[in-house]
Amino acid sequence: MTTAVDASGVSAQADGSPILVAENVTMRFGGLVAVDSVNLNVSRGEIMGLIGPNGAGKTTFFNCLTGLYLPTAGSVTFEGALLPPKPRKVVIAGMARTFQNIRLFGNMTALENVMVGRYCRTNTGPFTSIIRGPKFHRDEKATSARAQELLDFVGLGNTADNLARHLSYGDQRRLEIARALGTDPKLLLLDEPTAGMNPQETRQAEELIFKIRDQGLAVVVIEHDMRFIFNLCDRVLCLVQGRVLIEGTPDEVQSDPRVIEAYIGTGPADAAELEEFEEGQDNA
Amino acid sequence: MITMPRLLTPERQQRSDPAGGWIGIAGGVILAASAFLPWAYSFTALDGMTLLGYPSPLQYFGMVLGLLVAGLIICSRRIKPKGKKIRVGWVRGAKAAGTGALVYIAIIILSIAVELGGLINVVYGGWIALLGALLAFAGTRLMIPDQPPTLYQAQTRPWLEILIIAVVMGAALFATAFALNIDDGGTFVSFIAFLGTFVAVLFRVGVMGFLSGVSQRHRKVLILAAFVVAFLFPFTQGGSDANMSIATQVIIFAAAAMGLNITVGLAGLLDLGYIAFLGAGAFTAAVLSRSAFATADIHPPFIVVVLIAGMVSATLGLIIGSPTLRVSGDYLAIVTLAFGEIFRITMINLDGEAGPNITHGSNGIPAIPDLVLFGFDFGDPHVALGIPLGRFSNYYFLLLVLIAFVILVFVRLNNSRIGRGWVAIREDEKAAEAMGVNVFGLKLFAFASGAFLAGVAGAVKAHQDISVTPDQFIFLESAFLLAAVVLGGMGTVLGVLVGATVLKLLPEKLRFVSDFRLMIFALLLIIMMRFRPEGMIPSQRRQLEFHEEDEALAERIEEEVEETGALKGAGVL
Repeated sequence: MTTAVDASGVSAQADGSPILVAENVTMRFGGLVAVDSVNLNVSRGEIMGLIGPNGAGKTTFFNCLTGLYLPTAGSVTFEGALLPPKPRKVVIAGMARTFQNIRLFGNMTALENVMVGRYCRTNTGPFTSIIRGPKFHRDEKATSARAQELLDFVGLGNTADNLARHLSYGDQRRLEIARALGTDPKLLLLDEPTAGMNPQETRQAEELIFKIRDQGLAVVVIEHDMRFIFNLCDRVLCLVQGRVLIEGTPDEVQSDPRVIEAYIGTGPADAAELEEFEEGQDNA
Repeated sequence: MITMPRLLTPERQQRSDPAGGWIGIAGGVILAASAFLPWAYSFTALDGMTLLGYPSPLQYFGMVLGLLVAGLIICSRRIKPKGKKIRVGWVRGAKAAGTGALVYIAIIILSIAVELGGLINVVYGGWIALLGALLAFAGTRLMIPDQPPTLYQAQTRPWLEILIIAVVMGAALFATAFALNIDDGGTFVSFIAFLGTFVAVLFRVGVMGFLSGVSQRHRKVLILAAFVVAFLFPFTQGGSDANMSIATQVIIFAAAAMGLNITVGLAGLLDLGYIAFLGAGAFTAAVLSRSAFATADIHPPFIVVVLIAGMVSATLGLIIGSPTLRVSGDYLAIVTLAFGEIFRITMINLDGEAGPNITHGSNGIPAIPDLVLFGFDFGDPHVALGIPLGRFSNYYFLLLVLIAFVILVFVRLNNSRIGRGWVAIREDEKAAEAMGVNVFGLKLFAFASGAFLAGVAGAVKAHQDISVTPDQFIFLESAFLLAAVVLGGMGTVLGVLVGATVLKLLPEKLRFVSDFRLMIFALLLIIMMRFRPEGMIPSQRRQLEFHEEDEALAERIEEEVEETGALKGAGVL
């Protein structure tokens, strides 16, 4: 295999055809409207950014996309077919995610974590497992080989036998990405992939996401780090109080006064976040 | 963990070490010599310790412990590590032997006092033995402990290692046969104390580390040897069926516990009504048997009956599982608890009055004939290798095949894609679901496959027990099965075997245990939960789960993973 990540049939780079279409997605919790008629189009080979102040409904929107929540209204279409609101079915359809607060299987090794990611793409059943015929050994070998390949791809090749909980914070985030890649996704949803990372790790994460995009995958990223997001993304969508404030290229979004206002205007403004935002603007 | 107040600081030990060594040696020699003296006033106590110059078996064991203490101390003084990497924990072993010797002698003296009525019945030899044990204990305490042993790094020639396995297995067989043939409670406890001390010494010296290395290098030989030993066990009984009856009970119990271990240990689902699946299998086999009281007209061959029994139980598992497995832990426990009772009451009600007559109500189905497989009648005693083998021995061999099958299913499921899915579910159910693991399906499968194995075990149980009644399947039995899994070690084969043996064997061998068995096992469980929640022989993964904060443990296991390339999910076997 020449490329580390085989995009499973998706040969296209950014060919512009939409892979994920969310229309009027609304999520209500009792009287609270967490997500209000949000539209999102993601094309193949595109990196889409999702920004917004804390509590804007970014993660809720993510959960609606990945089947963790059933949206109150609206529809999510993936590759032209309506997505079933079951996390497992969403993964099988080809959409994998990472979590804002890392949710690795801490007491499994790094390799085993990725092998769990392969679960939905393998079909070794109970009888094969008990009888241990050639199929079993072939499947196991293929699974672990692919998992090792993905670990190499994210740069964790030599930590295969380490317990996931012993990896450094940055490595854990990368392992989560490798695990998600194990499901052969066509679209990867990353929930704050650089939270808690130092600048060097953030740069590595950026490179990794570009590398994933270059394999033909579409990527949707939630992030607070503005510099990171404006460097990385092809398009950015800004959510404020559950609504789409603006959607456009990074340049359009960061020059929009309403975005700045949204960040300053919400509650007791998070000073660090604001600073980061302005820093991002200065650099662009 | 509770830490002992340190009477003996390292500095004090530094000063007392030479003296401690001499005191320990003296204690060991005195203890060993005392074996030739009479310990008890009357021959009826323990195994008869009244003779001068002719030690009883227990006195010999005391002698062994004394010699162990003295020998280990001398070794620690004489054999210095010569720059080699491999260290032996002589002093550690001596300390364990000293402590064990004191416990051992104390148990013997107490047993004599209990059995004969008062300490007055302990004769001078016993007191000399106690003195020796006290000196051995005190002396070894005064010594400086040596570095942790690194004997596990040792390797020797393959044929020699295989020979070692054979010898260890042979010793295990001999010890088991010896222990089972002890009738007297005090003697049994004393022997267990001796065995415990001996094993503890092996651990402390580092021999166990070496043995575990050997067993890892020769897994197949070890497994084969284990089954050969189990196969040979009936031949050590000299035609007596008493112990074989216990052994068959233990194996059926262990097989059922192993099935439960899939549900509890691997998938992490708490099942409090598991005995119902065993009962379903047993009733299915009874109804389809050639008993005069069987209510079915068809009598398929036993192989078919076993499959049907398994299927019936698995179907019950699916029926009870599919609505309840969507709810989390506590609810599942309540529902399964209720299910166990519903099963029992249903069996009572299927008596022809409250419902159709299938089970004859609380009378159950008696007079189930012995199995006949390939013309071999399990009820007939026969002679092999000149040793008569009774009815229970016949069933014992069949049950060995059964438990081999159960172990095979357990281990292979555990080390597969499905097993990985179960671990992921235990670790983080939401994340597993979000990574495409079929959480519900895997849980249901764990439930059904555990039930299937119980059903199969139940089918054999029906024939072996001759009669099947609803009151054999009360909640207490479910609780005991669960206790065997938790006590032995969730998720391991060896742990469950040990747990099942402890829970079934002790009440059979010790009257006072059987009288107070609920209290004793409850205390045992509470102590375990406090000090070793992962069970006696846990899987490494479970150990990690129970000790999230213990980094030393995690690092040790990680090192092993790097050597062997896999986490040992299923323990030794």
